[in-house]
Amino acid sequence: MDQLQLRELEARCIQEEQPFCTAACPIHVDVRAFMAALARDDVRGARKVLDRTMPFPEILGRLCDAPCRPFCKRGEIGDPLAIGSLERFCVSRTQTMVKLPKLPNKGGKVAVFGAGLSGMTAALDLARKGRPATLITPDDDIGGRLRSLPAEILPGEALAQARTILAGYGVTVMTATSLDDAAVTNLIDQYDAVYCDRDAVGALAGPFAAGEPDPLSLALAQDGCFAGGGLGTDGNYSVIKQVEDGRRAALSIERFLQKVSLTAQRDKEGSCATRMVTVIDGIAPAAEIPPADPAQGYTPAEARAEAGRCILCECMECVKQCVYLREYKEYPKTLVRRIYNNLAIVQGTRNANKMINACSLCGQCTVICPHDFPVAEVCRSTRQEMVATGHMPPSPHDFALEDMRFSQSEACRLSRHQPGHDASRFLFYPGCQLAGSAPDLVVRAYEFLSGNLTGGVGLMLGCCGIPAHWAGQQALFAETLDGFRAEVAQMGRPTLIAACSSCLSVFREFAPDLAVTSLWEVLDGLELPAGERRRPEAALALHDPCTARYQDGVRTSVRSLCAKLGLAVVEPALGGELADCCGYGGLMQFANQPLGTKAALVKAGRSRRDGLAYCAMCRDNLAAAGRPVAHLLDYLFAAAADPDPLARANPGFSGRHENRARLKERLLASLWQETSVARPAHAAIPLLIAPEVAALLDSRLILEEDVRKVIEHAERSGRYLIHPGTGHRLASFRPVRVTYWIEYETIDRGFRIHNGYSHRMRLPEETP
Amino acid sequence: MSTFSFAEATAWQCAGCNRPLEPAEVKVTYLNSVFTVELMVCPGCGFVLVPESLAVGKMLEVEQLLEDK
Ligand code: SF4
Ligand code: SF4
Ligand SMILES: [Zn+2]
Repeated sequence: MDQLQLRELEARCIQEEQPFCTAACPIHVDVRAFMAALARDDVRGARKVLDRTMPFPEILGRLCDAPCRPFCKRGEIGDPLAIGSLERFCVSRTQTMVKLPKLPNKGGKVAVFGAGLSGMTAALDLARKGRPATLITPDDDIGGRLRSLPAEILPGEALAQARTILAGYGVTVMTATSLDDAAVTNLIDQYDAVYCDRDAVGALAGPFAAGEPDPLSLALAQDGCFAGGGLGTDGNYSVIKQVEDGRRAALSIERFLQKVSLTAQRDKEGSCATRMVTVIDGIAPAAEIPPADPAQGYTPAEARAEAGRCILCECMECVKQCVYLREYKEYPKTLVRRIYNNLAIVQGTRNANKMINACSLCGQCTVICPHDFPVAEVCRSTRQEMVATGHMPPSPHDFALEDMRFSQSEACRLSRHQPGHDASRFLFYPGCQLAGSAPDLVVRAYEFLSGNLTGGVGLMLGCCGIPAHWAGQQALFAETLDGFRAEVAQMGRPTLIAACSSCLSVFREFAPDLAVTSLWEVLDGLELPAGERRRPEAALALHDPCTARYQDGVRTSVRSLCAKLGLAVVEPALGGELADCCGYGGLMQFANQPLGTKAALVKAGRSRRDGLAYCAMCRDNLAAAGRPVAHLLDYLFAAAADPDPLARANPGFSGRHENRARLKERLLASLWQETSVARPAHAAIPLLIAPEVAALLDSRLILEEDVRKVIEHAERSGRYLIHPGTGHRLASFRPVRVTYWIEYETIDRGFRIHNGYSHRMRLPEETP
Repeated sequence: MSTFSFAEATAWQCAGCNRPLEPAEVKVTYLNSVFTVELMVCPGCGFVLVPESLAVGKMLEVEQLLEDK
């Protein structure tokens, strides 16, 4: 990722855009933070928010005409917030909380003609920027039009305080000073820049006599002369407009003194548009809470209640749904920044590695996001970059890649034409996970397909390679895909029938030249198997896998099949193209195991009903998380007498391994009358493993095969420890990159397993 | 580098040598890093015990740290 890509990505996430009120506010007061403070009864905190942006909070907080109010999102579900009245409440109950710094004197002499609110603002802002300003008015006090306001609206102290503030920042105030034609001409000569507050002095001579100022910079035709304030084009006097003009002029004068462009990049000044998106579905409407006594204004309780109506507008749409983004407390804009910084680290700890590897790459956020933010693609390509630069830690993906190699090994892989055929029109590809989870269903589905489709239905067992793709292992992925293509070519390029949405997505994206369809669409076009079937007692929640997000045909056929089977299904709160990942996607559950479990629970929790999945991994992960869930093939092919598919346990990694290997042996023997390759010696070691121990080994990613290797090695070499109390043995073995320790006991016919753990650190006597 | 000791009295004994384990310095390696730590070792054949608590605790922590370097 380079900096340009980072910027482009950042710009797509609008979470940091201004809320509607702030964008509409001509000086961009952080109304949201103001409301949040008031809602938690922190009136002083609310005052701080005003102090940071308002030039004279005591004045503006009391008088602002709140042009932001019509833009308030609350207005769409109730009334807009009473922003003006709440500001009045706040400033009348607090003192100044934040005193903004004054920059050191940078030189440049500026005069402000007229001491209305606009002139006062310009002088104050300039003084804060380190530009000595002189405020000149023919009146005997500052304030302009404000001076005529009754005390209930603007108490005298407010103007007195403004005088103190101006003096505090070193603004020179010259009252009762003539601004007649001669004086104006004379003063213009003495100062580097002049701002004319048209509210307080009316029409002046010289450059101020005629011509409208440029709306963006308020500059007049004569260099160094600026004008603003006064009545608006609608003939009304707007308080906030005075402040806006004064502030705009101060910025222009600063630019003028710095001799830089007066107009470049000023589109965010003043009331502006925002790209913010805030979804209000599910937020209850709420009407304005007016003060019981309008003359007295809000009581603290009323103010708190009114401010409590603020929606605190933000986007966060993706974060609301995604368990991963919530876990890492990031929204995509901050996430990509962290990823970028992580990639940039030359020496030191790459703290974001785990985060990068924990994304399920499911793409839900992209569908939700108003600007299609591609978190998955960012994380996946980052992994690829990490692998390419040698910075990918081995532990998050080792196990899954080994698992994939096993599925691709001679022990599991298979491709054959249908018995009695020497060509295939179709090729059934159940995928490694269905073969591992429910080998019986693979057999029955294959029997059904080969009995009901003409032209020969071949069978291919293996893995599509998606774990390598997810792991950023491009070379391995390409190699897997090439091998797959070659095999399909050897079979005469039949139409692939994929049972797994992940395989389907891989083939469609990376082998678009192959003819591919899904098992579900094929089944939907056939007469379904007859006979008594098992039916669940209540309707099931249909869980789409995340990889079927862009497979409308699959999702439609699945629903059609359910209808034909008389299976009552309901849609969970989030499904279809918004479906969550079960925790397997992107190898999330290997990079962050607890997060994988959370993901499964979130997916299952989108409905309180028992589930129906049509992805084997979703099926097993939801089952592992303790939720009853069946696979659609269970109801297609299981007989009424078969055990309840909703109660089928998660086979675990060992079970899936074993299932895959046995499936091949079984199919070879029953359909092709072939015997398989011999199993290694350790495969014969009989093990007795209690369910809790099996679950522990599974969570520690220790396969029974590893257990057997340890025992075989220990018993053959005699190298193990013995516990004199229990008689248990403890031994270790390092097949490749992981050392496995197994505590076991020899029993009559085999070994009872008590415990297992592993580490990656190498001990002195270990070679690999 | 100073040597960390993870040696703790243990009932496990070496089956081959029929001897109790004793604390000894051992070099463990991971991803180009070498550490000398004290572990329980068989004085006869050098069999090194990595107890479960160490494997799933400190050792795992250090492995992850080194992986992110
Ligand atoms: S609801 Fe709150 S944050 Fe949203 S626009 Fe209104 S005041 Fe601003
Ligand atoms: S949906 Fe997420 S990524 Fe998209 S703009 Fe909102 S917070 Fe940002
Ligand atoms: Zn020994």
